[in-house]
Amino acid sequence: MNTIKAFPRADGSVGIRNIVLVISTVTCANTVTSHIAWKTGAVPLTHERGCVEGEQSYLRTMLALSTFAKHPNVAGVLIVGLGCEQIQALDLQVLIGQGKPVHTILIQEEGGSAEAEAKGCAIVQEMQQAAAKLQRVECPLSGLVVGVQCGGSDWTTAIAGNTVIGAMTDLVIQNGGSVLMSEVPGIPGCEHIVASRAVSREAGEQILTMVDELRADFLRTHGKPIEVVNPTPGNKAGGITTLVEKAMGNIKKMGTSPVQGVLTLGERPVKPGLWIVDNRANGPDPVNLAGFAMAGASATVFSTGRGSPVGSPVMPVVKLTGNPRTFAKMPGIIDFNAGVVVEGADIAETGKALYNLLLEVADGRPTQSERNGDYEFAIPYEETR
Amino acid sequence: MKALRIEPTDNVAVVAQDTRAGDKLSYAGGEVVALEDIALGHKIAICDIAQGELVRKYGVPIGRALAPIAAGAFVHVHNLQDITEELCRQYVADFRKGGRA
Repeated sequence: MNTIKAFPRADGSVGIRNIVLVISTVTCANTVTSHIAWKTGAVPLTHERGCVEGEQSYLRTMLALSTFAKHPNVAGVLIVGLGCEQIQALDLQVLIGQGKPVHTILIQEEGGSAEAEAKGCAIVQEMQQAAAKLQRVECPLSGLVVGVQCGGSDWTTAIAGNTVIGAMTDLVIQNGGSVLMSEVPGIPGCEHIVASRAVSREAGEQILTMVDELRADFLRTHGKPIEVVNPTPGNKAGGITTLVEKAMGNIKKMGTSPVQGVLTLGERPVKPGLWIVDNRANGPDPVNLAGFAMAGASATVFSTGRGSPVGSPVMPVVKLTGNPRTFAKMPGIIDFNAGVVVEGADIAETGKALYNLLLEVADGRPTQSERNGDYEFAIPYEETR
Repeated sequence: MKALRIEPTDNVAVVAQDTRAGDKLSYAGGEVVALEDIALGHKIAICDIAQGELVRKYGVPIGRALAPIAAGAFVHVHNLQDITEELCRQYVADFRKGGRA
């Protein structure tokens, strides 16, 4: 069994980074938050909410901000508030709870932006100095949780990018780690395959119930069953003939491992293995990434045929492409070339090389998204639920 | 020239370049000569497939052959039937009856 060198946390989880996170409670505090992060090298978490939100939206914003703060890779948190907003810094601090340093400042109390920034920088630097003293220790892979995702897709994504991720997934699971799959609107059409891998009848029921709801949502939104609309004319022009074929291209990232069950947003896996994060929010790739971060994923492995700089405030994002031309064109944003597969390389061997890179990243090797400071953050809000 | 056969049980592969009739393609486990032009990213049969036989990609059935398909032929909507709904409905019905774990 492989091990990683990482940071065991008070709550039993394992961090692979020691990030100091500067969280804005409301859009009005975003600039002060960003300035503190830029001046200190900390990571900013800014967003477009935090005030005059409806109840459901407010609860979701709080869930996202608090789970990012609790994330195993986060060693310390500074909450930056304005003072009069709906999301109160102290409420958020209470929700985050114990286990790591969490500080708050309010712009209205500090006397303005410059004053808040000066105080914020001092607090962040103190937390960074404390975090720098933490030592990596050898940990079993049971502490490693890996999201798998694809985006910016092309003809190579399903057959080269996602098949290589699938081979990696099976290695992570065999070595005692966890993998999280999401992109659940892409599951209908292969639910018979996903559910057949469920470890229990209960897990199978969770999967089929989720897919029933997704199919009903699709019918409500589009007025037609998913099979009537998919594959789309664009899919067919690209070579996809059937819905099960299209859906398999997505779920190939799960490898062939048994499925433990379905997690709701903000829920962490209770034991190692392959899990599905039920994140149905529509939106660009960072929305799905956020679902993994909210489940405590140590890192996400992301395949992109066309190339994407996307990263996360709290997770290293390991990016690969199945397209050798994309890799040659954008080496500064992509970590791994799975394009060798369309040139004849073996999928299993390439998946093993990706797994080895993942372990190096867990041990501290920075990904391109980390080097570039790509900290995309989007809160998953569902419109229909 | 290359084609990508994903799993050993697959009877189709994906062509890795625009392919002309007569081109010889190599894939993990063999070679096949294209019988017709096939665009990048589309499927080629790597063995003869009988009418009514399941077409397999990613190691799973993705549809059913609407006609006999010769090794080297282009496989798409003209000769491959989408049976997704049938596969899903059958599984769910069996599961609800308690027949699937």
